[in-house]
Amino acid sequence: MLLLPLLALLSLPFCLAAISAESAHEKLVKLAASNNGLIKLDDSLYGLLTHPKRTWSASVHLTAMDPRRRCTPCKEFDPSFSAVAKAWTHVPQAQRDTHFFATADFDNAMGTFQKLGLQSAPVVHIHLAAEGDRRPASGRSAPIVYDFSNGFDAGPLAEQLSAYTPVAIPYKAPIDFAKYGTAAGVALIILSGIRFFLPILRSRWAWAAGTVLTSLVMTAGFMFVRIRGMPASGANGQWIAPGYQNQYGQEVQVVSFVYGLLSAAFLMLTLVTPYQTHSSRQRLQVYLWSGVIFVMFSVLISLFRVKNRGYPFKLLL
Amino acid sequence: MPLAYSLPSNLSPATVTNTSSLLRIISLALISGAAIASRLFAVINFESIIHEFDPWFNYRATRVLAEKGFYAFWNWFDHTAWYPLGRVVGGTIYPGLMATSGVIYNVLHALNLPVDIRNICVLLAPGFSALTAWSTYMFTKEMKDESAGLLAAAFIGIAPGYISRSVAGSYDNEAIAIFLLMFTFYSWIKALKTGSAFFGTLTALFYFYMVAAWGGYAFITNMIPLHALTLILMGRFSSRLYVAYSSWYAIGTLASMQVPFVGFQPVRTSEHMAALGVFGLLQIVAFAELVRAHVSSKQFQSILFGSVIGIGLLGALAFGGLTYKGWIAPWTGRFYSLWDTGYAKKYIPIIASVSEHQPTAWPSFFMDLQFLIFLFPAGVVLCFRELRDEHVFVIIYAVVASYFAGVMVRLMLTLTPVVCVAAAVAFSSLLDTYIDPVEPEASDAAASPAEGTSAAGAAAAASDAGSSKKAKKAAAPDPGVASGILAAVAPSGSGPKSRGIFGLDTRGLVVFNALGMLLFFVLHCTYVTSSAYSSPSVVLASTNPDGSQHIIDDFREAYYWLRQNTPEDAVVMSWWDYGYQIAGMADRPTLVDNNTWNNTHIATVGKAMSSSEEVAYPILRKHDVDYVLVIFGGLIGYSGDDINKFLWMVRIAQGVWPEEIQEPNYFTPKGEYRIDDAAPATMKNSLMYKMSYYRFAELFGGNQAVDRVRGQQVPKTGPTLDYLDEAFTSENWIVRIYQVKKEDPLGRDLKAANAFANGKKRKKSKPLSRRRAVA
Amino acid sequence: MSRHWRAPFSLLLSAFLLPLCASAANSFENTAIVRIVDLGGALVHLTTTYAIRALEDGSNVYTIALGEQEHGHTSWLEAKLKGQTERLPLEDFGYHKDSGVYLYTVELPKALNVNQTANLVIETVQTHATYPWPEEAAQKDPQSLKYHSELLVLSPYKTAVQRTKIKSPSPQVHSYTTPESVEFTTDAVVTKAGATITYGPFYNIPPSATGTFVDKKQKEIVVHYALDFPVLEVTKLERAAEISHWGANLNIEDNYHFHNAGPRLKGHFSRLEHQSQGYFGRPAPHVIPSLQLHLPAGIHNVYYYDLVGNVSTSALRTTPSIPKGAEANRFSVLEMRPRYPIMGGWNYSFTLGWDSPLADYAGFDSKTGKYVVGVPIMTVIPGTVIDDAEVKIILPEGATDIDYYAPYPALSERISTHISYLDTVGRPKVTLKYKQLTDKHGGVIYVTYKVPSTAHLRKAIASATALLGFFALGLAVKRLDTRIRRK
Repeated sequence: MLLLPLLALLSLPFCLAAISAESAHEKLVKLAASNNGLIKLDDSLYGLLTHPKRTWSASVHLTAMDPRRRCTPCKEFDPSFSAVAKAWTHVPQAQRDTHFFATADFDNAMGTFQKLGLQSAPVVHIHLAAEGDRRPASGRSAPIVYDFSNGFDAGPLAEQLSAYTPVAIPYKAPIDFAKYGTAAGVALIILSGIRFFLPILRSRWAWAAGTVLTSLVMTAGFMFVRIRGMPASGANGQWIAPGYQNQYGQEVQVVSFVYGLLSAAFLMLTLVTPYQTHSSRQRLQVYLWSGVIFVMFSVLISLFRVKNRGYPFKLLL
Repeated sequence: MPLAYSLPSNLSPATVTNTSSLLRIISLALISGAAIASRLFAVINFESIIHEFDPWFNYRATRVLAEKGFYAFWNWFDHTAWYPLGRVVGGTIYPGLMATSGVIYNVLHALNLPVDIRNICVLLAPGFSALTAWSTYMFTKEMKDESAGLLAAAFIGIAPGYISRSVAGSYDNEAIAIFLLMFTFYSWIKALKTGSAFFGTLTALFYFYMVAAWGGYAFITNMIPLHALTLILMGRFSSRLYVAYSSWYAIGTLASMQVPFVGFQPVRTSEHMAALGVFGLLQIVAFAELVRAHVSSKQFQSILFGSVIGIGLLGALAFGGLTYKGWIAPWTGRFYSLWDTGYAKKYIPIIASVSEHQPTAWPSFFMDLQFLIFLFPAGVVLCFRELRDEHVFVIIYAVVASYFAGVMVRLMLTLTPVVCVAAAVAFSSLLDTYIDPVEPEASDAAASPAEGTSAAGAAAAASDAGSSKKAKKAAAPDPGVASGILAAVAPSGSGPKSRGIFGLDTRGLVVFNALGMLLFFVLHCTYVTSSAYSSPSVVLASTNPDGSQHIIDDFREAYYWLRQNTPEDAVVMSWWDYGYQIAGMADRPTLVDNNTWNNTHIATVGKAMSSSEEVAYPILRKHDVDYVLVIFGGLIGYSGDDINKFLWMVRIAQGVWPEEIQEPNYFTPKGEYRIDDAAPATMKNSLMYKMSYYRFAELFGGNQAVDRVRGQQVPKTGPTLDYLDEAFTSENWIVRIYQVKKEDPLGRDLKAANAFANGKKRKKSKPLSRRRAVA
Repeated sequence: MSRHWRAPFSLLLSAFLLPLCASAANSFENTAIVRIVDLGGALVHLTTTYAIRALEDGSNVYTIALGEQEHGHTSWLEAKLKGQTERLPLEDFGYHKDSGVYLYTVELPKALNVNQTANLVIETVQTHATYPWPEEAAQKDPQSLKYHSELLVLSPYKTAVQRTKIKSPSPQVHSYTTPESVEFTTDAVVTKAGATITYGPFYNIPPSATGTFVDKKQKEIVVHYALDFPVLEVTKLERAAEISHWGANLNIEDNYHFHNAGPRLKGHFSRLEHQSQGYFGRPAPHVIPSLQLHLPAGIHNVYYYDLVGNVSTSALRTTPSIPKGAEANRFSVLEMRPRYPIMGGWNYSFTLGWDSPLADYAGFDSKTGKYVVGVPIMTVIPGTVIDDAEVKIILPEGATDIDYYAPYPALSERISTHISYLDTVGRPKVTLKYKQLTDKHGGVIYVTYKVPSTAHLRKAIASATALLGFFALGLAVKRLDTRIRRK
């Protein structure tokens, strides 16, 4: 099994010597055309593509699609790369053949992976032209590593690769019909049922509920979870994220519930209890709600103490 | 009727009103006192000094204003900033803050009170916080009554959410902006209630002041139209609204265009279009109302109604078209990043890199507002209960502000006032209910179960979903509650007879509970303010083993060295965070500073810092940089240093030179960020790394050198510098300043020259030793 | 330069002195002149002892001559009789063209008759007389200075024997000149013993305060020696003393501009080396890590800041104030550290101020009804020269007929007004300017002035009226009806 790549490695220099840049270029053009814009690489082809005398540039996608490798990001990223490669086929011949998209799978091009000393996948290398008019001013021959900080989507990939291609890659994100469809449906339903929805829109308490819910959720750090993409709960099932400027999704629910309960208790004391005309029942309610307030408040404080260790105050617990 | 406790009956109403007004004045005075005092921790613990970064620029600008007069300040072109570009200061700042302190300065000096301008700047924020408390009082008074107003004033006086940006020494626009915000809103509400053009104009004037003072004025620019629009949609259009809005918009917009930095934005950018649109809509609606008043034909009115809507739609379309044609600029990045939260990180990394632009986690909400944060929804519900126009305003404000505060830590500032107001409303109505001595006469009017269930539903609506179960539980066993809820949710029309509290113990309990919470709040605020929000980040404090405070003053040490021992025109390069401080304290030209208007220039600095000496040197020489300043916390564990900010420099540089700078090269193959032996070559060769760790290992003698921030072991053989010389290093090594060498007089490459020099030394030493061997 | 003398007064004397070399030459002769030079950093102390013998009866005016270079450096000059403390009156006759020297005359307390003798001691202090050599030194290097002087002490009289001793602060003297072909002596011109270099003795020197003699016979000598403590210069000192009768307080605020006049730092400052030097207890001689100031006793709330705020690193040991008349030898010691160690050629500026009870400095003269306040001119820092000094004394508001008495005349002096907190007419301010002050110049300026009792009350009345007016305005506005339409 290991022999093959070794052989391939040995054979590399010969084939390089054998094939001149021009012929290599024609071959690559054919390969690209055959498999809509994407060249499947093995070790020798890799050598061909990164030909020392290359007049073309290339973006090489090194991945491990074989399920045995258990590389989920590879599976995530692969479609977007091939989508971009496909988009590249739409540019006119002249520019198209000066930049190639290629994929090297670990199981076909093990030697290449060893040569590059890669432990992780996926990786995208951008090889600039080594000769010809597209040779960069810096004369850089080492490949440029694509920065995955913007995620695995095709959009940013095309955007960043366009910096190295003669013309920008004409990539357009496919239109998400599902989304628009649902939106349209919902709108239709609402419009058709306007008669039934109108009383809700007119009722102030519906709005009140909406407002209060929004403010509760927001003040419980919902946007933090949303923007930072925090998980609902951490590993080993802990649901309180350590650290003051940090939180999990579940905390939003718990905290907003506590807030809600407390303010409900206040409202009860203010609005409802006074209308209770039976003195003993009223007394019962007053004690009940005051108790609720006290207990929940101390619960809240203890929660806060978990987040902020230095906090000196505490109530019940 | 029965009383829970007796009241003195022999008081004339005049006495009562006079006493209460006197008490009100006194307590307002005390609140202002508390508000000012609680912001003086920084001055007492440290000294009267300007804090952090931006305030240093404001302070510098204010000095120019105070010394050279207003016109000099207005036409001030700052050659020392953004070298070699320079900066037109007069046209690129909000002059409100400086103008304010300039006026105060001149008035005091006219009264022969020669107060130092620095002290005015330091104490401006606390002074204005007192005014903020007062304006909040006025605002809340419009919502409920004086007692609620006093509570609100007290809350905002000491709420950490506001203190965090207004302690003595944080001389920033927010210091006066919140007062302006609250007062503008107050006069808007007043104008809306009375329909007086006078208050409308007042609103406009304070809006102008706000525009001159803070970029956040856009909040007002959109809040007021939103309020007006909502009122129209609720069918609450009135001539009062028309007068108030028109006077505000007309005068306010014209006035705001006088600020050079704003200029024609009010008619050219999307942030301001809402105001314009609502203005137009109001005219249409007003016209329609006028016609309707004179013509009374059913179908005509319906036509009219349709045409109004039609014109509105047309206007909207026109607006869209103008935007499309580019006559109206779309949302600017800073505002847009509030809606599309991923936007900034992708396209404006400089904005994303600022810590106060991060989203807010719930602990900081609680830290800043403590028990106000859960009184806030209750207050909002109470606003819904009696839904007057001003209450609609508070409700909108609540929703919008809580969203913004969730997106950006910094905008906690705009949330705090409304939270204080709503909480005060809730709290004071609780106290009203339980202090009122009137007792209802007991009766057992049981309500029908049907009523009960429906009421329970209403209760569910009344309180929020989180507690609806509780509400049901409370309601189900006890129809009395249900009837109560019914009465509650019905706008308060029910007389005092049916409503009230029995007994003294219940009153005592609730009032005691409330007072306890207030007390706790005071403790909390004092603790938070003194511990979290009162350090001037220019001076660091640490505690000695014996518990005494030890001041770490490296920044000023280094800046003062620059000021005293380098030529006036020596250009200093540093990361943009320190630009204002260098300009303010060291008084030297800088390449980039905290007003980050030129991304490329900043990226240039980032590139110089993150690339190797050979690459960086030409850049430094081209910008004739004489000194390079880096912040290094490795010795005493100061975590906010440049190595920790380094990745942002790399990212920003990468944005402009993607071929030369790539973020992945600064990580180990395993994707770790390391500075020890395992650090990648790119990292080790970067100028920043070299300057930070130059001769650091030697400090530990033979022992293993450890970086206390990263907690990693620094390589034994430290980096060498060929193109720079160590010029100065502060006492705790926090600030390190390097001088950029001039080209070699013999025209050699500096690296070669160095090697040659060292080589010669070695040669010289050899023969000596040989001679000794011979002897 | 400010020296201790009276301005030229008697026409008679000057008339008598003009044909000086002729007439003076035969009124005295020097039996011996011994000059002792104490080398230092910024300051060099010279003590010259003239053993004189009168050749005529009733001759009581003795003349001293200073060469040009010597005169250029000298900033303090005082004459005493040996073993006595009070200074003798000294008179300046300025530059004497045809002899090319500067002349001073000393008035002896009592005229001498023929062959009567006296021992006259002239003390001078020279500033900027030394310069660092080599001019640059790295952080570890030692520090050494050069001192230029003239071989022979000039005098308008014949001199029997004369010698000059130069004492170096440290025994290691790198070099000293041995002048060639010197007359008046038979054996070695110069001998060195330890840290002391002796030139002479020289015998039978004719009147030497003549152009010809200076040109022909005078020789220059240079001493190159090591100095183990830094050379500190105060390039500028502004002192403001504000007297407040209400607060019974004298506030003194000094604004210093320091300069390390030692060898310039070669290369760059390395904190590492500095810290290791401190660690091994071998600080470099030309670094100023900290400074000890002797402030007056009984002072309180001392503040110490510079352009960017408080300097947190300073320690103060105060002592209670001393009763009047007692010997003032107790001080409050301020151990102050600059923000950064002042290396050779570096500058540092800061402001230092304190309050002190007025009673320690002021008194009331009931006869004249005048207050008398004594303000010290400067805080003496040993071995330091102050190039420019400006002393401002701010008197209480409304002070009248002001007189002041400086221990030595100022270069410029004027009275102006200074406006401070809640002043209505401003306070009189006395400003005195000096140059080249040395540690000999520590003196007290006495200011006398009257303050009428109405002036004391002025401030209170002014502020009271202002407030009342404010309230009155408030009342008026409150009661004013600004409505257009009556309700």
